[in-house]
Amino acid sequence: MKHLTEEELIEHYYSEDFYKAESEAHLQACKHCAQAYEELGKLLSNVRASEPPMRGAEYGAQVWQSIQGSLRPYQSKTKRSYFRWPQLGYAAACLLFLAGAFLAGRIWEHAHTQPSLATTPQQARERVVLFVLDNHLDRSERLLVQLNHAGAEEEKVDLPLQAEARQLLTDNRLYRQSIAPANDPLLAAALDHLERVLLEVANSPDELSSADIARIEKEMNTQGLLFQIRVLRTKVSGQETNAQATRKGATI
Amino acid sequence: MGNEDHALIRTVLAGEKDAYGLLVARHSQSVFRVAFRITENEADAEEIVQEAFLRGYRKLESFDARASFRTWIYRIAVNCALDVLNKRKHQAAVPIAEEHDGEQGTVQPADGAAGPDRLLLSQEIEARRQTAMEKLTPTERLAFVLRHMEDRSTEEIATALGIAPNSAKQAVFRAVQKLRQSLAPLWVKS
Repeated sequence: MKHLTEEELIEHYYSEDFYKAESEAHLQACKHCAQAYEELGKLLSNVRASEPPMRGAEYGAQVWQSIQGSLRPYQSKTKRSYFRWPQLGYAAACLLFLAGAFLAGRIWEHAHTQPSLATTPQQARERVVLFVLDNHLDRSERLLVQLNHAGAEEEKVDLPLQAEARQLLTDNRLYRQSIAPANDPLLAAALDHLERVLLEVANSPDELSSADIARIEKEMNTQGLLFQIRVLRTKVSGQETNAQATRKGATI
Repeated sequence: MGNEDHALIRTVLAGEKDAYGLLVARHSQSVFRVAFRITENEADAEEIVQEAFLRGYRKLESFDARASFRTWIYRIAVNCALDVLNKRKHQAAVPIAEEHDGEQGTVQPADGAAGPDRLLLSQEIEARRQTAMEKLTPTERLAFVLRHMEDRSTEEIATALGIAPNSAKQAVFRAVQKLRQSLAPLWVKS
């Protein structure tokens, strides 16, 4: 006969054995196991915990008083639910990322275009010079054309050439001085030539005769000067167009 | 009771902290009882009650609405008690003078009604029981108290202690064996 082990006896005592009926039958038949089980029963029945001291009805309130100070109220679920929607969180994160990328791009572009903006006063000055120079050359060209035509057609010239020549003479001196640092010999030579022509016209008698004009044309080579002015106008107009294109590109 | 507990928990989670006070008032007695049975110390038991309800409040969001709050807070209290026993185990050493030698301690129990001899035996048993309980590991002691005094099943013990059912069963066996070794001499000559 196989006796019950100590573990089986303990399981039987706590009614946790799988084969309760078989164990019971064995204890009925086996005096050895029955005696061991009886001793175990005596032992465990005498093992009793001390009875807990009584607590009054207000004990729960006392416990609550002692802990409530260290407890923070929960936020209501309606408030917390905003933070529980993962989709909303992802969307917000994407928007933030896009806004950040856009701003970073703008800042980068601004930082990289800063040097060109730093030269803006110089460029602006050049653009103004080119604009007024183009205008000056245009007026000078018209004066020279009128001068050439007048010399070829009429005996007496009744045109305000002298007044225009005096005005252009003053302007021409300023432009000639302004373009000196640019070290452009062609332009400098043309303006110098033009100044001499204008000076001659401006200082001529009040009414220029065709002969006077013809003399000026011949001596001052106004036909050649007109050609030079036209070439310069083309060049100056091209430079002005390039300057405008550069300015637009920098501000995009 | 369970539905009322769940309603109170929802109220607490909605921001009404004071509703938790009602849960504390409702379950503090039972938590104190099990805490005292485990520790057999009134001050420790009160500390466990407070700590259990504190932990319970902080973990309330993780409470499964399908469970019973009573069982849930009970498990938390058992874990708090385990912490106290572990701390006590490290701090205190069993005085040598209180150790009982098996042969010397053999007591002849008296038969019949309670008399001076019987009273003496009860005192002796209680002293030895307490000493034997102190010798158990925290897990063994908890498992034994829950099995023997709280009449909890092996499954419930395992859940409360966070261990496998077989480990819980073995812990109860080892506790009974140790108690038997300490207390059996009292009945040897009976």
